[in-house]
Amino acid sequence: MPETSRRGLLFGTAAVSAGAFLTACTSNEPKEKAVAQSNQPAADDKPGTPVTIGFAGPQADHGWLNAINVQAKSRAEKYSEVTLEITEGSNDTAAQIGQVKTLINKKVDVLVILPADGKALTQVGLEAMKAGIPVVNLDRIFASPQAYRCWVGGDNYGMGLNAGHYIGEQLKDKANAKVVELAGIDNLELTKQRSQGFADALKNYSNIKLVARQAADFTVESGQAKMAQLLQAQKQFDALWNHDDDQGVGALRAIQQAGRDEFIMVGGAGAKSAMDAIKADDSVLKATVLYPPTMAASAIDLARALGQSKGIAGLSEMEIPTSLTLYSAVVTKENIDQYLPTGFS
Amino acid sequence: MTQPAPSAQHHGPEKGTVTGPAAAPPSKPGGGMRALGLRVDVRNLSLLGVLAVLIAVGGFTEPDAFLDTGNLQLILTQSSVIGVVTVGVTFVIISGGIDLSVGAMVALASVWATTLATQDFGFAGILFTAVIVGLAAGLVNGVLIAYGRMVPFIATLAMLASARGLALQITDGKTQIVTVQSVLDLGLPDSYVLGIPPLVLVFAAVTVAGWLILNRTTFGRRTVAVGGNAEAARLAGIDVRRQRLYLYLLSGLCCGIAAFMLVILSGSGQNTNGNLYELDAIAAAIIGGTLLSGGRGTIVGSVLGVLVFTTITNIFALNNLQSDVQQIAKGAIIVAAVLVQRRTLRGSET
Amino acid sequence: MAPEPPLLTMSGITKSFPGVRALDGVDLEVLAGEVHCLLGQNGAGKSTLIKVLAGAHQPDGGAITWCGEPVQLSSPITAMRLGIATIYQELDLVEGLSVAENVFLGHEPTSAGFVVRTREARTGAAALLGRLGHPEIDPARLVGDLSAAHQQIVSMARALSHDVRLIVMDEPSAALDPDEVDNLFRIVDGLTAEGVAVVYISHRLEEIRRIGDRVTVLKDGRAVSVGLPAKSTPTRDIVAMMTGRNVEYVFPERPGPGVRATAHPVLKVEGLARKGEFEPVDLELRPGEIVGLAGLVGSGRSEILETVYGARRPTAGRVLVDGKPLRAGSVRAAVAAGIGLAPEERKAQALLLTESVTRNVSVSSLSRFARAGWLDRGTEREAARAATRELSLRPDNPEAAVRTLSGGNQQKAVLARWLLRGCRVLLLDEPTRGVDVGARAELYAVIRRLADEGLAVLLVSSEVPEVLGLADRVLVLREGRVVHTADARELDEHRVLDLVMEGSPTS
Repeated sequence: MPETSRRGLLFGTAAVSAGAFLTACTSNEPKEKAVAQSNQPAADDKPGTPVTIGFAGPQADHGWLNAINVQAKSRAEKYSEVTLEITEGSNDTAAQIGQVKTLINKKVDVLVILPADGKALTQVGLEAMKAGIPVVNLDRIFASPQAYRCWVGGDNYGMGLNAGHYIGEQLKDKANAKVVELAGIDNLELTKQRSQGFADALKNYSNIKLVARQAADFTVESGQAKMAQLLQAQKQFDALWNHDDDQGVGALRAIQQAGRDEFIMVGGAGAKSAMDAIKADDSVLKATVLYPPTMAASAIDLARALGQSKGIAGLSEMEIPTSLTLYSAVVTKENIDQYLPTGFS
Repeated sequence: MTQPAPSAQHHGPEKGTVTGPAAAPPSKPGGGMRALGLRVDVRNLSLLGVLAVLIAVGGFTEPDAFLDTGNLQLILTQSSVIGVVTVGVTFVIISGGIDLSVGAMVALASVWATTLATQDFGFAGILFTAVIVGLAAGLVNGVLIAYGRMVPFIATLAMLASARGLALQITDGKTQIVTVQSVLDLGLPDSYVLGIPPLVLVFAAVTVAGWLILNRTTFGRRTVAVGGNAEAARLAGIDVRRQRLYLYLLSGLCCGIAAFMLVILSGSGQNTNGNLYELDAIAAAIIGGTLLSGGRGTIVGSVLGVLVFTTITNIFALNNLQSDVQQIAKGAIIVAAVLVQRRTLRGSET
Repeated sequence: MAPEPPLLTMSGITKSFPGVRALDGVDLEVLAGEVHCLLGQNGAGKSTLIKVLAGAHQPDGGAITWCGEPVQLSSPITAMRLGIATIYQELDLVEGLSVAENVFLGHEPTSAGFVVRTREARTGAAALLGRLGHPEIDPARLVGDLSAAHQQIVSMARALSHDVRLIVMDEPSAALDPDEVDNLFRIVDGLTAEGVAVVYISHRLEEIRRIGDRVTVLKDGRAVSVGLPAKSTPTRDIVAMMTGRNVEYVFPERPGPGVRATAHPVLKVEGLARKGEFEPVDLELRPGEIVGLAGLVGSGRSEILETVYGARRPTAGRVLVDGKPLRAGSVRAAVAAGIGLAPEERKAQALLLTESVTRNVSVSSLSRFARAGWLDRGTEREAARAATRELSLRPDNPEAAVRTLSGGNQQKAVLARWLLRGCRVLLLDEPTRGVDVGARAELYAVIRRLADEGLAVLLVSSEVPEVLGLADRVLVLREGRVVHTADARELDEHRVLDLVMEGSPTS
């Protein structure tokens, strides 16, 4: 059957070349590699006693979480005496508990934990503290203060508050201003906090009304879909606050598709793409409110200091504070250059 | 003897000789429609009813925002990506199988097609990669199920996990922004043909092609036969395994096309793409009258199912209802739609 | 004392489904301790009637009295509480549960209302099985692991686990071998001796003669006779009542040897064997010839047919069509070479029940009506219709769903499929199973005519008269071995039965 074999040969060749092409296409290396900015460690960076830090975080399936991992790793590399034991990220509570227990059994000196679910991991945090391992709780807070030595994290309420004040200032001279909110995953507490802060801030501006709110789920796809609906529902408005820059990529796409530009947009979290757009100033995106992933680097600093029983340089306290809430700065065109290096992709 | 049959069947052999035409065939309502090739399915009629009610609700609650061209374009556009996936899934379900990996395949194909390396090849590179990755994933599903004799539920569940994992590995959790202008342009109003977005045109083309394949080709006929009674199909000389392989390939192909559409729509590739598409697609197919056990289903029904879902979401968003209310109402509407359909179906069964 | 009223009286029962009047005023009277046979063709209303009796269907009209009291059988539970149990043809057992669990399903002996007393259930089940003459069935075994005959026994045990006064048996002997049928009859005798009434449904007239007391014949939703004596009513009368005309259990004339003796064999089977199922078989089949395989269930007859067809892979030997060997174990190769199979389990193995007649007939010849995969549905429908008309399939409606057809017409749809395909060798496995007595003769005529037109037919049947009446040549099988080959005219039923049973442990 020459027909079949020729066809087979054709298909075979096609399949092989397609395969070769595809394997070449998994690369995400940019042509000219941008050099990652190194910021100076905040704590005393003279080498001290060796410290082993265990790090457990959720699965880095999202730009911000990915940046958390990168920040923690690169900061640990800066200290020659620090060994970082990093676990495979997991969104499964049971799996993460197991990972933390493993780290406890390995007798690491300090633990840094970014729980997939703060409440669910409280017990294992207590366990570590009882075993004499200080825990630095990163961002998603445990249910009991006994479960951590030090908490460091962002300020979700403050994010909303600062976004609201920024928008309020921009629109303060406008009568009957309309504002739209594109929230994140609605069944997360942080989304409620952000929305609450935003609403509280807007109460200071009697001329502004929040006319519509929809929740996306931190993905580009949902950002596009929900924003498209909001644009259809509100034919004219003055400002938009989007909780998350990742879904903001989709939101911006929807805005572009609808051909709308009568409003200003404020983002959240501080992604590189958002910062680039703010710097370029060629879209409705004028600002973003930070939820800085640099907190992971700070957590490593704190862990190291705890391991070496030091205080923080620049503070007069003998001990490390028990909690550290980071400020959600508003990044605009004016101060963009300062923050650009912390933008994550 | 489960069904009492009309007595016309019990004529003996002496009545109507071997080849002679017997008494006039019992005429059946709808026979004329069938002859025209317009099989109007009562299940689809009830879905059209649901859609009509939704449109009435939308028009009543938000007359300005709901009833305009922009919103029609929006609803159709938002239906198009999941719609294409649903067409593929409908074939698989009619054949008695299930594909749980569609969302993951869309994610994998969309991120593979938007890596910096792929984007170097421009429009063609992105399209080609999306389609080939979809096909390849479908091929793996098909081979595992047809020749590896794995249960479709398990094989596609495994594909769901590994394709999502691979997508995460490729992106490293980052959002891959598309910079190829020709791809981006297809999502913008300038590219609309007579007011119809290109994505909607692709959706329409896939729907028509799916309908034709299911109703007018040997492939479609064999799909129904395999789903209706796989053993009978095998003993009738149909290559059941090859048919199954082709069906999962088809589902993969639809996912590849959908991934390309999603890249156009969102201007990016992300490993979280296609989140829960498997459930949305299966739900739309079931609402559309496809039997989960196989052997019965229509493309038109599935597409109507998708449109019902998208319209619901649209009406909720326009009325500024929040996620909690949306989810509750969506569940209630699924139940209501299936109940209405069951009633209509029972009323028409003879 | 006044004479005891009948256990059950149903009078003027009507029941309609959309488009069909299934029961059109049926009367039935059952006495305690009798075996009351219910006869009727498919579609006569037997199933609907017993579903009404079981409480599964509600009648539109009519009255039911139970022990002289008017009753409403509003649900299966009501019927069960009165003491009416039904054993359906498709056994409704849960395969993943044990025998004891099935027997007491829904009324398990419990402690504190929810803890199942397993031991008590097992003892109870064992007692019931013993009463049914099958103490060897282990109450702890999974029902799915049991044979069909044993599953039926379990089904009966379940019926008896209630305080039962009337048992409805829907074709209980259909899946049973002769010795198992004997056991079934012993059980029925035992039950009636205890005063339990049995409503017995069967297609087999000889069974009704053996155990029946009275007969009610249904036709087109009416009772055409009520309570005739089962033993003395002439067969001819019963058949006439069922069909509304006089038919003989007739077989078509065999043509003279003529062409067949000289023709080349179209199918040759050489040393075909499957370990554990049947030993090497040799067989030649010429165009125009009907060859029968006679044997008991388990003698390997169906297995041979399915191996020839490629549905099972042989462990030795080969199959040749026109002298060319077929790829072993490939249905597609067999079909491509012109072999067609009408399998034993028509609904499970051959038919797409919800699909139309046309689609069922054309399914094996689709590529013939297609160009580049594109179907020409007009040609398809016409060709399928020509095939069904040639076999006088009723109703003559290509769009009718196959599930609405009678058994005989469903079989014709399967035959039409192979006729359309242009097949040359037809393998028939139990071609008249589930086909009305009245429709069988017609089916025999169709098969003979197909042979006369040049088809070679290989026939398997558990009914010896059928094999003897229809086939030209007969191979008698016992325990996977061909024990005798002869011209059908040289054999009679007794001889074949002797051959089939000879030396087997049951005789």
